[in-house]
Amino acid sequence: MPRGSETTAPAGGLLPARLGTPVRLIALVVGAALVLSFPLVAPNPYILSAGVVVLNYAILSTAWNFVGGFTGYISLGHAAYSGLGGYATGLLITKAGVPSFVALILAGLIVAALAVPIGIAALRVRGASFVIVSIALVLILLLVFQSWAAFTGGSNGLVVPRPFPDLLRPEHHMVFFYLYAGLIAIALLAWWAIDRSRFGMGLKAIREDEDKAQSLGTPTFTFKLIAYVVSALFTALGGGLYALWFGDLDPIFQFSILTGSYMVLMALLGGIRHLFGPLLGAFIVGTALEIFKLEFGSTQLHLVAAGLLLGIVVLFMPDGIIPAVGNLVRRFRPTESSIREVTAAELLEQNKARAAAAGKPAAPAADADAASETKAEVKR
Amino acid sequence: MKATARARRGVIAGAAVAALALSGCSAAGGSGDSADDPIVIGISLPLTGDFSEPGKGVQRGYEAWAKVVNDKGGLLGRQVELKILDDQSSADRVVADYEQLIGRDNVDLVFGPFSTRLVVPSARVAEEYGMLYVEPAGAAPEVFEQGFKNLFYAAPAVANDHYNYLAEYILALPADQRPQTAAYAAMDDPFAQGTAYGLKEKLEAGGVRTVVDEVYPPNTTDFNSIAAKIASSRADIVVGGTQYQDAVNLIVALQQLNYQPKLAAFSTAPTNPEFSKAIGAKTEGILAPTGYTTKATYPSNTEFVQAYTAQFGTPPGEDEANAYTTGQVVAAAVEAVGCAEQGDCQQKLVDWLRGNTVDTVVGPLSWDAQGRPQGAHMIQQYVDGQIQIVLPGETKEADIIYPKPSW
Amino acid sequence: MSGTLIFQSIVLGILLGGLYALLAAGLTLYFGVMRVVMIAHSAFLILAAYLAWYFHQQTGLDPLLSLFVTVPLFFLVGVVMQRLLITRLRPATLTMMSVLLTFAIALIIEGMLGYVFTGTQRRINLSYSGSSLDLFGARVAVVKLIAFGLAAVSLLALYLLLKKSRFGWALRATIQHKEAAQLTGIDTDRIAGFGFGLGLASAAIGGTALSLDSTIYPSLHWHWIGPLMAIIVVGGLGSVPGAAIAAMVLGLGQSLLQLPLGTTWAQTVFYVALFGTLAFRPQGFFGGRLAQRF
Repeated sequence: MPRGSETTAPAGGLLPARLGTPVRLIALVVGAALVLSFPLVAPNPYILSAGVVVLNYAILSTAWNFVGGFTGYISLGHAAYSGLGGYATGLLITKAGVPSFVALILAGLIVAALAVPIGIAALRVRGASFVIVSIALVLILLLVFQSWAAFTGGSNGLVVPRPFPDLLRPEHHMVFFYLYAGLIAIALLAWWAIDRSRFGMGLKAIREDEDKAQSLGTPTFTFKLIAYVVSALFTALGGGLYALWFGDLDPIFQFSILTGSYMVLMALLGGIRHLFGPLLGAFIVGTALEIFKLEFGSTQLHLVAAGLLLGIVVLFMPDGIIPAVGNLVRRFRPTESSIREVTAAELLEQNKARAAAAGKPAAPAADADAASETKAEVKR
Repeated sequence: MKATARARRGVIAGAAVAALALSGCSAAGGSGDSADDPIVIGISLPLTGDFSEPGKGVQRGYEAWAKVVNDKGGLLGRQVELKILDDQSSADRVVADYEQLIGRDNVDLVFGPFSTRLVVPSARVAEEYGMLYVEPAGAAPEVFEQGFKNLFYAAPAVANDHYNYLAEYILALPADQRPQTAAYAAMDDPFAQGTAYGLKEKLEAGGVRTVVDEVYPPNTTDFNSIAAKIASSRADIVVGGTQYQDAVNLIVALQQLNYQPKLAAFSTAPTNPEFSKAIGAKTEGILAPTGYTTKATYPSNTEFVQAYTAQFGTPPGEDEANAYTTGQVVAAAVEAVGCAEQGDCQQKLVDWLRGNTVDTVVGPLSWDAQGRPQGAHMIQQYVDGQIQIVLPGETKEADIIYPKPSW
Repeated sequence: MSGTLIFQSIVLGILLGGLYALLAAGLTLYFGVMRVVMIAHSAFLILAAYLAWYFHQQTGLDPLLSLFVTVPLFFLVGVVMQRLLITRLRPATLTMMSVLLTFAIALIIEGMLGYVFTGTQRRINLSYSGSSLDLFGARVAVVKLIAFGLAAVSLLALYLLLKKSRFGWALRATIQHKEAAQLTGIDTDRIAGFGFGLGLASAAIGGTALSLDSTIYPSLHWHWIGPLMAIIVVGGLGSVPGAAIAAMVLGLGQSLLQLPLGTTWAQTVFYVALFGTLAFRPQGFFGGRLAQRF
């Protein structure tokens, strides 16, 4: 195991809880104030539009984290739900004449309803098959939305009418910036509430060891399905808001594996176990993407950069920035949190390392492989 | 325990603002409004991706226009400077590009991109910033149905009228020679479909039966099954509503099946200089509509062909000419109104174009209230290995070959 | 719909299925030796096609000759990739993380192709591009026959290698039961590296075959990965013969469905088969014991 010792310290909370509520509140207020004042300090409309794009990423990756973070099921195909949300919003407005924001909420509910049967099918399988299914979902929706031109507009795309036709473009961006900020706040609140509930405990149990959770009486399938549907709901709302803001939907961009992978990258980079992880990841990756497009606009180098970043995150910090920073902080503050925030496998490695440190014979590599193999076998 | 997470979020958000603002400031400030500053014109073009071949043609046309204008002392005594971004043939990028050009770089004027699919989203950006928007390539009917008030199409005719002369010719053939059946294959793209379906409508009304009618998405590369259907239908004529690479692939697939129609017409692709090489030089008899000929006798055209040939070594094609025309149209408005900057000036430019006719390399152009030009396209054909005008009779360079020799 | 059209489609379907089979066999190898779902497989396929195109562009020689460079090169890259990257992942989350890691590699390849060769669509123009043979009334393009022949020969070679050689025996043992293989003295890490190399070599061959008769562009690999994933799931994850049979069946199905449904809808056959398999027979239709673990 090449990355043995750096994970030995349990990755607990970043700060001990006794630091107190006031500090946390102040930090939250300052953070929120910074975000909310952005439209006022943005030097030109382009920067403001880039800000909206970043917030769009933020809501998508936060929504993704409802399933990725709580259950550990990595879906590369969440663009399916943002795309469906966008198209449902657009089609409700253009075909059914529903007012813009009613259409947005209806679209979210419709997509959430659609996610139930899809979730039932997809969550039956684990590991590799779940990822393949999630990718296939995006590809199949791309085909359907490209081909069913009479209904969806096909490759010509769908033009979504403006919700505020009288606004000039900079004002339009500002309104949507605050709409996005509001949606993100709701999503974060929902995450926070679930995180503290029994339901959230059950989900995290699934993430750490699904079979054990099941044998202990957690209704794993129902829990996974609920998390999946909530995730689909917020993803669809994000997609619908994008449709209202951007105005043109093209299947190739709505149902893009790349968008789905950005959600994963952002959440992983920030840290999928943390409330603000995806948000942080979205700020970093989203800003980097925009700067990259500005500096290297006419090349494909932004793909290379995104790929490199994803590779680095997967190889060197699969738990994200927040735990990595947390490790740093803990060096100065050697208190252990009582809540275990590591996977079962990590714990195994840690225990082995401890055993080795205590002078017992180190476990041979074959044993470690066998252990992991057993685990894979258990996940039948 | 989440406190630092929140704090960090604030820091990162702040850093994001700073980073973006910084990069914003460093690049802005290129275009003041003083009389000596150049007039900066913002353009986004598909230099890579699905539309990159025609996109590069449009770029050459714009560059030729800028050079001709600057050699003559510029517009309103100011030099013109093009700022061209690559939108990778993507609607998301084209919007971001114009957003950047207008909102951040504060360009004085904008020109349109290539392809209808990119024109509609980008026209909305221009419209909402109140910019005049003259475009070289949005010929499909949808473009003019969006209610844009600042949009003008700088070419002789909209897509559905491109084949008008060919339809007249086919329907005027004696009954024993007239084709009985036709096969259509069109990209799911408003422009490409518009050309093919414009002809289809007229031929069906004239009694030519449609035996194959296929639509494929823009990213299609496998044309075997479409070609197999066309070949097995033995249609007398084949019409492709195509851009560039799809036409090449379809033709090669048809050749592989040894299908020999009496007439083969494809939009856009045959006018591309690479076309002949790409299909193995088996071009004889292939037809294409065009809005432009280098031999047209309009005064500015002679100048354009000379200047372009001197600059790029080859005579211009249709994409280049449409781009040049776009430049001419905007220049005429700027000279007449006497201003070129963002703000009220743009509305004056729009109003002027609404009420006037502009002389261009494709002839005098005027527009209806939605920005549709009022004209028609010529028909070209590969005759003796050269692409030449064959219809209408008064401008033809060679006689039309019918039926087409085998490929 | 005429009989010749159907026959024509069957021939085209078999030719296409051959290429799918070769590529799916590569994907199966990675999964077999390392439990890795290799998203970058089709990106390497497109990379090989670009190298063939570039080779033809620069030298004017037949693109098939580029195989002498790309096959050893890709084999090496595969071994290095397995040894340096895949083994670094934590075993417990290997399957999920390997998907993300290979996804990242796919993005890097696509980006570099776009950077070096631009997004312009490319196509090799050979003197025999448009020629075809008459096969019982169906027209078969020469380039397609060559591509199929290449795929068939490679698959046969792979089959013989797996069944007849000592290395093949060790590889199969590793796929079936890693620990048991280790106990009999097989260096499974080495074998896994070679398995990866073989998989990538199959992408090199497939890419060259593809370049003969297809337009290529950097993002084309997304177009291939979906069908290939569907094939290995339907065939049973980890089963090479299963993947080959599924590839043939689905390739044929796609080709025939194009007649009534058109090109785009016909592609859905892969995803319908994928969802159907997962719903009714998650271990795949031709897979062995291995597939049931996932």
